[in-house]
Amino acid sequence: MVTEFETKLLGLMMMVIMLGMGASLTWRDFMIAFRKPKGVIVGLVCQYGIMPALGFALAQTLGLPPAIAMGLILMGCMPGGTTSNIFTYFSKGALALSIMMTSVSTLVALGMVPATLAFYSSLGGYSGDYTVPASNVAQVLVVLLVPTLIGMVLRKVNPNVGATLELLGGLLGVFVILFLIVTWIPRNYQLLLDTSPAVYAGAIGLGLVGMVLGYSLARLLRQDSNRSRTIGLETGIQNGPLAVLIVTLSITGPQQQEVLLIPVLYSLFIVVNSSWVTAWFRRLADREAAARDKAKVGVLAQTP
Amino acid sequence: MNTGLSTGLAHSERPAGQEPLRAAHSPWAAAYEAAGIKAALPPLGHQNLGQLVRERCRTFAQRDPGRSAFHCVMPNGMNGSLSFAQVDEASDAFAAYLLQGLGLQKGDRVAVQLPNSLGYPVAAFGVFKAGCVLVNTNPLYTEREMVHQFNDAQVKALVVVDMFAQRLPAVLQQTGVQHVVVADVTAFFPAVPKALVRAVQKVWSRTLPPVTVPHIRLAQALALGRDALRANAQTLDLSGPSLQDLAVLQYTGGTTGVSKGAMLTHANLLHNVQQMLAMGGTHMEEGRECVLTALPLYHVFAFTANLLGFLSIGARNVLVPSPRPVQNLQRAIENNPITWMTGVNTLYNALLNEEWFLAYPPAHLKAAIAGGTALHAAVADRWREVTGAPIAEGYGLTETSPVVSFNPLTGPVRNKGIGIPTPGTDVRLVDEAGQPVLFGQPGEIQVRGPQVMQGYWNQPAETASSFDGPWLRTGDVAVMDTEGFMRIVDRKKDMVIVSGFNVYPNEVEDVIAQMPAVLEVAVIGVPDEAVGEAVQAYVVPNPGHESALDEQAVIAHCRRQLTAYKVPRRVLLRSELPKTPIGKVLRRELRTQALQQAQSPR
Repeated sequence: MVTEFETKLLGLMMMVIMLGMGASLTWRDFMIAFRKPKGVIVGLVCQYGIMPALGFALAQTLGLPPAIAMGLILMGCMPGGTTSNIFTYFSKGALALSIMMTSVSTLVALGMVPATLAFYSSLGGYSGDYTVPASNVAQVLVVLLVPTLIGMVLRKVNPNVGATLELLGGLLGVFVILFLIVTWIPRNYQLLLDTSPAVYAGAIGLGLVGMVLGYSLARLLRQDSNRSRTIGLETGIQNGPLAVLIVTLSITGPQQQEVLLIPVLYSLFIVVNSSWVTAWFRRLADREAAARDKAKVGVLAQTP
Repeated sequence: MNTGLSTGLAHSERPAGQEPLRAAHSPWAAAYEAAGIKAALPPLGHQNLGQLVRERCRTFAQRDPGRSAFHCVMPNGMNGSLSFAQVDEASDAFAAYLLQGLGLQKGDRVAVQLPNSLGYPVAAFGVFKAGCVLVNTNPLYTEREMVHQFNDAQVKALVVVDMFAQRLPAVLQQTGVQHVVVADVTAFFPAVPKALVRAVQKVWSRTLPPVTVPHIRLAQALALGRDALRANAQTLDLSGPSLQDLAVLQYTGGTTGVSKGAMLTHANLLHNVQQMLAMGGTHMEEGRECVLTALPLYHVFAFTANLLGFLSIGARNVLVPSPRPVQNLQRAIENNPITWMTGVNTLYNALLNEEWFLAYPPAHLKAAIAGGTALHAAVADRWREVTGAPIAEGYGLTETSPVVSFNPLTGPVRNKGIGIPTPGTDVRLVDEAGQPVLFGQPGEIQVRGPQVMQGYWNQPAETASSFDGPWLRTGDVAVMDTEGFMRIVDRKKDMVIVSGFNVYPNEVEDVIAQMPAVLEVAVIGVPDEAVGEAVQAYVVPNPGHESALDEQAVIAHCRRQLTAYKVPRRVLLRSELPKTPIGKVLRRELRTQALQQAQSPR
């Protein structure tokens, strides 16, 4: 279902994406984020608390077959996707927060993804050829950490190269998904027609419900509405291409097709859903800005 | 004109033993020595600003060819640089283009309407080398403002940033501008970052409108200029004009309505550069400084201090196209060993409220200077605490090129003051009758010195009324202590008169700014039936502060610190305050809003 050439290309693109993500940050940014770690902690709770649990819960309630359920759980365990930064920019959200959440969740992915994946796999009693071994996930992530660190060093040495890679990585993130759509859909349209509504519900629901839960948690923790929208977007948008890459590298044969189904569908729909959510959030941000302007003329304090 | 100043003076009695302050007194002379400041200015080493640029650039290019003179940093860290040799060569080429390519004559006015970017020094220095007159123009000006300024100055050529090109057709139609040179923010950037920034501007943020009027790009203009230089090396005269010739028309006076051009000569600016360097010299080393230029260069403060002053000591000038949001400064500060910076109260305050700045304040900073508007004591103290470097407030006006006085960077910390007159400057404080006032008594600042403008362009009446003989009337009220240190009490016209008592908004603002829950504050007077005028405060709460802020808390705080009549009658919470391009709070606009509101029924 995915050719070897495509897997290699996908791996290469992921390298560049990670290089760009590393280049979007300096060491100082991390140190600053950890001085007031509330935002980062909220992000991590959303990413590795809410999302894997949501993936698992959806798989259970929708009664998905084990291999497909495995794909959904894997998708839930992924770190944040770099495309979330682009959507945050367009929605006039808190860009620095989005970049920080993506990066931190990716850096701790090495420990958190295998751990959450192993936990929910055993919780659901999933075992067989279709499971993704935690050690494989760790290997892929280690390999991807190398370009991330190189990106950070490049940013430090030459800000021009760093900023260029940052932009390139962000654009490539969108391109990879378009690439998946263009190469994969024509060959698998029959599969798409045969796929049950429950699978679609899982693939679409993971992103949308994730956004709602992320937003709600942020509001609960007294983040302002703009930051909460950013956290919502960030929570719902997972690193889809990374999941695809991990599956293709870990599972061979006919099982691959089934496990891959949700990551691929998720990647397709998250672009569409994030787009309209972004448009909606942008309107909200504009409306709030207008309200602030209005408040400037209004009088908040009482006249004595 | 009764501004209330006379009211205040009429109540004052002259204590025995205090002599009226006379200009010849120069009570500040002793302070120079104490602070390590050279009291005598050296003779001007250059005939005009073009020569200054040429000689300084060649000197530093020879000393350290790899060093960059100007370095422009975008918010995402992308950057470009010009070495001293490159600035010199490119501005020669631009001068040649103006004279040969456009056929401009010495004395013709050239408007430069650029944000901080590498094109700015090239264009401005080129104008000087060609002997033309620079008309600094704010890139954010509206069509109406551009038309007024270009017509008033009879501008012949315009160097403009492409981001605002949509205003050109209408403006050119209504003015005598004959030539348009278009520059972009990424001028002289390496090819890849340049292409990416422009692609983002065009596709993403849509800030690159098409240029629909006949024009030439800066790069093309420079190429033509280089050709002209090669072909006519003997006949092209780039030696510039003489000292007394006009160098800059610097527009000002937005506060009184119509804007007018202050005529600054080469001598004015060269002297003021020396005066500024004399005050800062205690903390400067030739060829070793790196200055952060976050204020716009088209404004006279950054123009003289950063562009001319720091170039003449061979500093590396880090240009930031827009300091708003203040986050834009992060990469510039992170990636450059900043040793000096110039700013205004709002900029310093904004930086002190940034997480990244507090975590990593510039480690190499030697000194910071503030002007434009009063530096709040709370901000100054916090700045010293965070950066470990001195911050000194100064005072100046567009009409004085601009520096009049500064606090020395050495010696005891003096908040809330504008320091002593710079070497070569005479200052006197006078009452309504034009008589010098006593030490410690408020009087209008009047200035005499080599940096004082020649007058307002084509405004003989305005010029006449702004001078008292050789003395320039500033309209600012200050007091001076016996050592010659001055403290602004306020703009004459900003003073609030509550039941006949003078309240100076600066004082009230300074008290409110001490509250940690306050981010920014402005104080104005509004008409009041009972007391004539009532004090009204506008407060922006600090979002980073835990506890909420309300009117009562502010008033209670003021009651503890101020006499009853100075305490604001009302406190209004705002999310931001109206400001000028460099960040001065516009009290006038708040007053207009308040008046409109008082008239409209609630």
